[in-house]
Formats: sequence, structure tokens, C-alpha cells
Amino acid sequence: MPPQPPTTAERVITVALVGNPNTGKSTLFSALVGVRQHVGNYPGVTVERKAGHMTLDGRQLEVLDLPGLYSLAPRSRDEMVACEVLLGDFKGLDHAQAVVFVANACNLERSLYLLSQVLELGLPVVLAVNMLDVAADHGIEVDLAALRRRLPIPVVGIQANRRLGLDELRAALAGELDLHAPERMTPFPEAFEREVAQLRSRFETAPVSGGEPPSSGLVRRLLLDAGGYLESDMMARGRLPTGTGNELALARARLAQDGCKVPGVETRARYAWVQEMLDGVVRHPEHDRPSFSDRVDSVLTHRVWGVLAFVMVMVVVFQAVFVGAQPLMDWIELGVEQVGQWVADAMPEGALQSLLQKGVIGGVGAIIVFLPQIAILFLFLAVLEDCGYIARAAYLADRTMARVGLSGKAFIPMLSCFACAVPGIMAARVIENERDRLTTILVAPLLTCSARLPVYALLIAAFIPSWTYLGGVLNLQGLVLAGLYALGIVVAVLAALVMKRTLLRGSTPPFLLELPSYKWPSPRNVAYRVTQRAWQFLRCAGTLIFAVSILVWAALYYPQHPPSVAPLRQARQSLLAEMEHLPPGTPRHDELAEEIAELGHEITGEQQRQSILGHLGRFIEPVVRPLGWDWRIGCAVLASLPAREVVVATMGVIYNLGDDLDHDSEDDLNRLQQKMRAATWDDSDRPVFTTPVALSILVFFALCAQCAATLAVMRQETGTWRWPAFAFTYMTLLAYIGAFITYQIGTWISAGG
Amino acid sequence: MVDKAVPLESLIAGETATVSRITGRCDDVHRLEEFGLRGGSRIRMFRTGNPCILRIGGGKVCLRSDADLRILVERSI
Repeated sequence: MPPQPPTTAERVITVALVGNPNTGKSTLFSALVGVRQHVGNYPGVTVERKAGHMTLDGRQLEVLDLPGLYSLAPRSRDEMVACEVLLGDFKGLDHAQAVVFVANACNLERSLYLLSQVLELGLPVVLAVNMLDVAADHGIEVDLAALRRRLPIPVVGIQANRRLGLDELRAALAGELDLHAPERMTPFPEAFEREVAQLRSRFETAPVSGGEPPSSGLVRRLLLDAGGYLESDMMARGRLPTGTGNELALARARLAQDGCKVPGVETRARYAWVQEMLDGVVRHPEHDRPSFSDRVDSVLTHRVWGVLAFVMVMVVVFQAVFVGAQPLMDWIELGVEQVGQWVADAMPEGALQSLLQKGVIGGVGAIIVFLPQIAILFLFLAVLEDCGYIARAAYLADRTMARVGLSGKAFIPMLSCFACAVPGIMAARVIENERDRLTTILVAPLLTCSARLPVYALLIAAFIPSWTYLGGVLNLQGLVLAGLYALGIVVAVLAALVMKRTLLRGSTPPFLLELPSYKWPSPRNVAYRVTQRAWQFLRCAGTLIFAVSILVWAALYYPQHPPSVAPLRQARQSLLAEMEHLPPGTPRHDELAEEIAELGHEITGEQQRQSILGHLGRFIEPVVRPLGWDWRIGCAVLASLPAREVVVATMGVIYNLGDDLDHDSEDDLNRLQQKMRAATWDDSDRPVFTTPVALSILVFFALCAQCAATLAVMRQETGTWRWPAFAFTYMTLLAYIGAFITYQIGTWISAGG
Repeated sequence: MVDKAVPLESLIAGETATVSRITGRCDDVHRLEEFGLRGGSRIRMFRTGNPCILRIGGGKVCLRSDADLRILVERSI
């Protein structure tokens, strides 16, 4: 082998993985790059950028896993990014220098349609035909040798999940990297190519900013892109001379006269080529036999059994989240308490000890207890998605979604909102219809994200009785949790219905969704997704929640020793002095001890009332009073506007500083929950947290848009602050009204009962 | 020439057919074609209704059409 020139050895070559959705692209990606992968975002756009590194013959390759595509005609934002990476005309984005095209052997026709588009881009391409085993199960025979003879590129058969054929694929790729791919023949009629050449020469003479005039691959796409997505995008960046739109329209009109109407000419020409390539290569069975997936689908997509199965799956998930996580949570709780105790013992009493024990450990500790629940939720979502069930759920949901005016496609982003609204809102990019996409984005934060889970878990465990029904199968706590999820869904549906009837009126376009064959979830994919999310959660706990905890601690701790506390302290001191002279066990001694404890309680209360947070809290108390909240809850909710899970930490700080713990409380509650139970209204013994109050808080959190990240991503995805402002306003209003009604009705019922 | 084409909705579960033509809004038809559902495609009805589930090639596809979109098919005997 001749030695490589050093320049090529050092340069990192970008290889894009391209293919239809559900072709095993991501599995191949993991198989190729192993653990050397990272997920980020493309700058400016929020499309997920999944990249990894591999070494091939001593050369460094960066492998990009592009979103699954059916066509390079960009209709949605996801497709736009993939298109831009392949066309390589965009600053800040990667420019693919080679392509590994992944095809599904079960549907080569559709794969080759996309391949014919990719071949025109003038990049080295290797075709990897995946899932040959699945095709064989379906009775589909593929003659790879014949396909290899016809296509102008290397063809390799692989089984990505079993890591078969990867060496051949690497070898083929290595061979292609050295070649300079020629501009390949296109399947388009002559009249079409004439227009392409003409436009191209026009662009060459006209001045454009940012480098080379568009390649003929790009010009072809511009001409075919009747929707104008690509055109407007390139125009906005000054990459096309003025008047291009007009010229494209004229060219399309001329083509229509020549019988090459855009966009019909593309599918006609390309499928003719595909047919030519596949003639005699693929043999379908005479009668397709029902596969394993068919048998499963006959139950899971059934009108009655399917819906029942869906409900059961959801019940199992939520029960697992609530019950299954408990032992792990207890351990973490114990650890946090140990660390807090250790800090308290090791440090002298004072501001620093209070900051560490009450502020940092009390706040951050309160939230990381919920890590197991988050991990379990994501584990289930990842498994359901990886095995192919999510698409069936979308099918079942479409009937209902269509009634609201959305499609089943909106169901998938909405389902990911149960994990987190941020990826959910980003996933709405797969929805082609702009109004549907906006509606989905606007109602997405109503669906119960995992950040609400800590709030729900904390309050439910503390204030909802753990009654069981049906011999322990159903638990009232689990039912309330399910009810809160249902509340989010119902309100989201109603909100979408109202929006589609008023603000975002429009027709519902046809809905197309592939139902992939069922497969065993890959432990690698699942583990990766779970650790990714768990890590994100911990990072949030370590930064934002850490900062808010300290702020809340400080606002509650200072000013220390306000004047109104001094007489109380003095009284306590004199009582203490008196008690010292009495032998323990005498009636007077016990009396004094009680009075001292009482005074301690009053001192803490007064200290909190006179603190910065106390003043602020009492300022807003009139607003939150109708919801049944005292100023402490009001403050906690206010502090959680940047991120709702912060409220758990805030309450942790507030009630830790309070320090009136009744040690006789049940053992299955954690310290914070016991303290919240013991909390009373100022100047009275009436407990703050009654069941109606807890429910009112729960409903408020179910409906409120307390998440800066969600609002920011909304801004990013809609391009204006108007929509996030709208979402925040309507959700906060709904939350307030919902909490008000809940508290009032709850109080009325408990008074009547 | 006898046109044996019938609307897609008239197929019952398990029936196979060949798509003869698709009419509707230009963009919708194009999208269906790029998805692999086009004149000449062999399909099998898996679950009827709107949305329905079709078998195309080795895979299954869920499809909901609207008032403008018409898919005409010829039953295979």
C-alpha cells in the first residue's frame, strides 16, 4: 500500500449515514463508531446532530447519523437539515464528503428512490443493504450480485444488529473515499436537464455571496422544490441572485408545457430508473405470509384490544415509575441525610453551615432523590420506541387526533413530551403542516413532563392516603398520579381543539406513517438514551437548581436577627436559664420545656416572616390565598418559574430552615414530607397542607408553563417570542383557574363530609 | 376499455390490489409517491377504516386520506 500523504491522513473526512426511517441506520451508526459518539445540536437550528468518530486505514472519519428521510425534497425542518448537510452549501453545518446509504431490504424500491436523489449530489456513495434476514422472513429474495452489476456504486449486504458485513462495508468505504465521484447520469428527461444547465449558467454569471455558485445537484433540487422551502432559505442567506424565484417559476412553466410537470416528473423519472435497477433483482412471494409483526399487530392495532393494550401499557409504566423506584429513592434519601448530618456535625453553627446543610444539601438533595423515577420513565419510553410500539400508538391515536384537527404524527412529539417538552417540541419538526406544528408546540407543555414527577411524587406521597383497591392492584396514590396525567392530556386536547378552530384554522392534511416491524429493543440504544437523560437531569440539579436553592436560602436566611425576634429570644434565654436550676422530671421543668419549644417555633416563624422572601411572600399572598396557599407555597411556586422541579428544592430549603419536625410521624415519608405535614399557618396551629391544598398545587403544576427551557425552544422553533408569550399566558391562566376550582370544590367537599 | 378501478376504501381486510391512480392536491400526491404509494404499487389491506393500515412491499403503512385525496385501486383476483 503506498504511503498516504500527511495532509490526507490528518484531515477528518465527514461521512453521512443516509436512509429511510426504520432502516437500522442508528444501529449501524452505533456498530460503526461504538462509544465514540456524542449528540448535540446544529448551530442555529435545533435539529439533533448525532456524530461519532472512527478510524479507517489510518484516516479519521467523522460519521454523521442524519435524520431518516423519504426524499431530499425538504418539506419539514428535519429534512431541510439533512438536505443541507448533503448539498454542502451551508455555513456552520457539516458538509458530507461521502455517504453510506442504508437501505431496507424489505422495501428496496423506496430506498432506491432516495438513493437516486443522493447519487446526483456528486459524492462517493456506498450502498449498505440492511435487514436481509427480515426480508427473508417475509419471503422476499434479493439478488445482491445482480444489483451490484447494475448500480454504479459498491453494494454491501449487512446485518447491522448482528454486526455482520461491517468489514466489507468499511473496505468498500475506504476504497470509495479515494475516488472523486463523477457527476452521475440523471434519470430526468432531456428537457428538464436543459433547464438545469440554463439556470446553472445564469447563476454562474450572477454575483452571489458566500463562495461557489450552486452545484447542478442543488439547482436540480431548487427546480423541483415547488414548495419553495429551499429557495426561501437560500434567498435569505443571499446565496441566490435576485429574481431567481421568478426564473424558477418560468422554468417550471416551460417544463409543464413540455410534459415534465414539477413535481410529478421527479417521481416518474426516478421510479422508472428504480424499476430498471430492480427488475429481476427483488422477488416478492406470490402470497405474503403473515409475519410475526402481523400477528402482534392483529391485537395491538385492534379497535378494542389495541386501545385496551395501550391503556394497560401506560398503567404499567406509571405504576413502575411510582412503586418500582421506591427502594432506590430510599437509598438516595438516606445518603443525602447522612451527608447533611455529617456537615452539621463537622462544622460550627452559623451561616456557612446553614447554607451547606439547609440550602445546598436540602435543596439539591430534595431533587436528586427523584433520579430513579426519571430513569425508569425514560427506560420505558426508550424500550417502547425501540421495539416499534410507538408507531402503533400513533395509529390508534390518529382517529382521536383527527377529531381535534391534528394528525397521529403530532402524537409522537406529544408522547415524548411526557419525558420532556423540549425534545417533544423539537420533534414536532416532523409535522409538515405549519399550523399543525404550531398547535402541537403550543399544547406540548401541558403534557406531563418528567420534571413534574418530583412535584407530584412529593405531594402525593405526603398528602394522598395510600388506599388500595382490587386486592392491592390499584393504589389511590397511583390513581391520582394517573389522573394528573389524564388532566394534562384532556386539557391539551381541548386547547388544541380551540386553537385549531380559532387561531390556527386549517385543513387536516393526509397522514402517512410507517409502522416498522417489531424488534427486540437494543440494550445499547436504550441504555444510551436513559443515561443521557439521567445525566441531563443531574446537570440541571447541579447548576440551575443549585443556584436557585442558594438564592432561596439566602432570601429566607437574611436579614438574620431582625429586631422583632430579639424580645422572643430574650424570653427564651431567661426560660432556659430558669430551667437549668430545676431537676428534670418536675412538673415545672416539663412546663418550661414546652414553653421553650413553643418560643423556638415562634422565633423561626418570625425570622422567616421578616426575611426578604417573607416580605415578598406576604406581598403576593393575597393572590395565592384563594388557591389555599400560604406565602411559603406562593414563594416556592414563584421561584420555580424557571424550572418547575425547582419547587421541590425550594420547599426543601424553606421547610428545612423551618425545622419544626414532629419526630413521631410515619417512617415511610421522608424528612421533607414530614416537615410539610407539620407546617402550620402563621399565628395558628391550622396545618397548611390539607388534601385540597395539595390537590390545588398539583393541578397548578399540571397546567402551568414553568419552564424557561421550553419557552426558549418554542421561541427557537417558531422564530418569534409571540408564541411562547402566548403559551405562557394561557397556561398560567388555566393553571390559576384550575387550582382555584380544585381548592374551592375540595374545601366544600371536605367541609360537607 | 373497462375501468375496474375502485376506491381504496372499498377493499376489505386481507384483500390485495394494485394502485391504478392517485388524485388530489399535487403536493399530497407527490408525498404519497415518494413514500412508495404510487400507480403500480401492490398493496394489501391490513386494517380498514380511516386511518387504515396497508401493507406495501415488506412493510406496513398507516394512511388517513382527506376529502381531496382519492386512491383508486384494482383488485387482484
